[in-house]
Amino acid sequence: MALITEDKHWAAQYPELGTDPIPIEPCLSPEYHERERERIYRRVWLNVGREDELPRGGDFFVKDIAAVNSSILIVRGKDGVIRGFHNACTHRGNKVTRESRGNRNGFVCGFHGWAFGLKGDLINVTDEEQFFGLDKSSCGLTPVATDVWEGFIFINVDPKPEQTLTEFLGDWGKALSGYTFGSMVMRDRYETEVNVNWKVALDAFQEAWHARFVHKRSGGEAYASKDNPYIHVLQFKLYPLHRMMSVPGNAEFVPTPIQICAHQFGKSYISRDGSGEGLPPGVNPTRNPVWMFDSNYIFPNFSIFVFDGMFFTYHFWPLTADRTLWETRTYYPPAENAGQRFSQEYAKCALRDTWLEDLSTLEDIQVAISSRSVKHFMLQDQEILVRHSHKVIADFVGDE
Amino acid sequence: MAKPSLPNEFNDLEPFAGWALPTERERNHKRINSQMSEIQALYDTMVPRMGAIMEYLNKLPIDGMPEDAQRLFHMTLSLAEVAPAVEFYQQPRVIDGFPAERFIPIDVPDMTPT
Repeated sequence: MALITEDKHWAAQYPELGTDPIPIEPCLSPEYHERERERIYRRVWLNVGREDELPRGGDFFVKDIAAVNSSILIVRGKDGVIRGFHNACTHRGNKVTRESRGNRNGFVCGFHGWAFGLKGDLINVTDEEQFFGLDKSSCGLTPVATDVWEGFIFINVDPKPEQTLTEFLGDWGKALSGYTFGSMVMRDRYETEVNVNWKVALDAFQEAWHARFVHKRSGGEAYASKDNPYIHVLQFKLYPLHRMMSVPGNAEFVPTPIQICAHQFGKSYISRDGSGEGLPPGVNPTRNPVWMFDSNYIFPNFSIFVFDGMFFTYHFWPLTADRTLWETRTYYPPAENAGQRFSQEYAKCALRDTWLEDLSTLEDIQVAISSRSVKHFMLQDQEILVRHSHKVIADFVGDE
Repeated sequence: MAKPSLPNEFNDLEPFAGWALPTERERNHKRINSQMSEIQALYDTMVPRMGAIMEYLNKLPIDGMPEDAQRLFHMTLSLAEVAPAVEFYQQPRVIDGFPAERFIPIDVPDMTPT
């Protein structure tokens, strides 16, 4: 099937984004970063994981989020409901749990033994008679707005979120609803701290063009073809906050011997199962047979890469103006035999090595912009998602 | 030192049993600290046997294999680990890559529903 090859037509579809180079200052300025924290991270829904990480009542995990100066405790109650709280004792602020995950009937603060139930209620105060008119019913753990979309758990530290999660995800959420996220389980997970602004890290994944170069040894040929050497995408779609692109593969790509093994025994990451029959309309929206995956970017810092039969996610967590915690998590249908597990292991190793290639540019870019030797990012039509991302962020951050 | 054993049919793979490592970190560590000739030898020996290996292993319960089969399985995971070194880079490490040592695997929780 022919690809759209008309030059520069995406900018024409989204004229409000313009075509100018974009400034680097937002990727350097500590002051801009403070405003991002206040005006974005403290106000919008942030993904912290999936509900299948908490299969049983009493299961919990903790997510420390530097961008909102908070330690967030996510708990599944015995009633099955997932709730979020600040991981802070209402007595004097110590963490109520120091474990990153586990299963409990409740939480006892290690400082003076205050005890909280799974719904955050304050159950027991030691030496209570020495307090002055303490109203235990008003001293539960501080709740954090928490909601679930398609199994993805989102929190919002704004005490009164301006939008519900459904409103926040909007038409993007509707387009993806129905993908079989729930039939897959987390297979692997990585974290790394990188000396780079979070937007520079995110931008490295918001276009396909780089794969021909950065991944020329590891997988670029699976995407770049004779007809489409720079991996022009099948579709970009921009939503008010979120965005996606649909990425083609190279139909003439010849897999390596191990890729052939992996595809034979199970599901790997570049096996091509066809045109995606049965996928919701928002996945492989052009229904092109050369489709490989869609990458979705949920404002501000969360990405879901959706393939036919597996998906992976990225989180770009700002630590400071020039330091980012990057997390990857990969999901497959549960492996039922050794062959399927081998296929997933191959995908894990190949993807990991591909990510090491992606990561290789980031700290160099941060140095270059810090030196001001690079004063703008020059963007072409196939980098429209980067342009959109910076525009949405700037609209939130505003002027001083 | 007790000699590690593999299922009888795969005795010939014994010289490579040092690759029977249970975790990704151990397998990656061995890969990036091996000579390319050692990696290539593992690859060249294992690839033609993969059909027979999986025919054998797929008959066993995935989470309750006998120890000798488990070792053989871990060797296939090492094959997955070294495959990019052979097929992409022709050297143990990612060419111009970010250090693997800074890219940290995090334990995946048990998500078995009850």
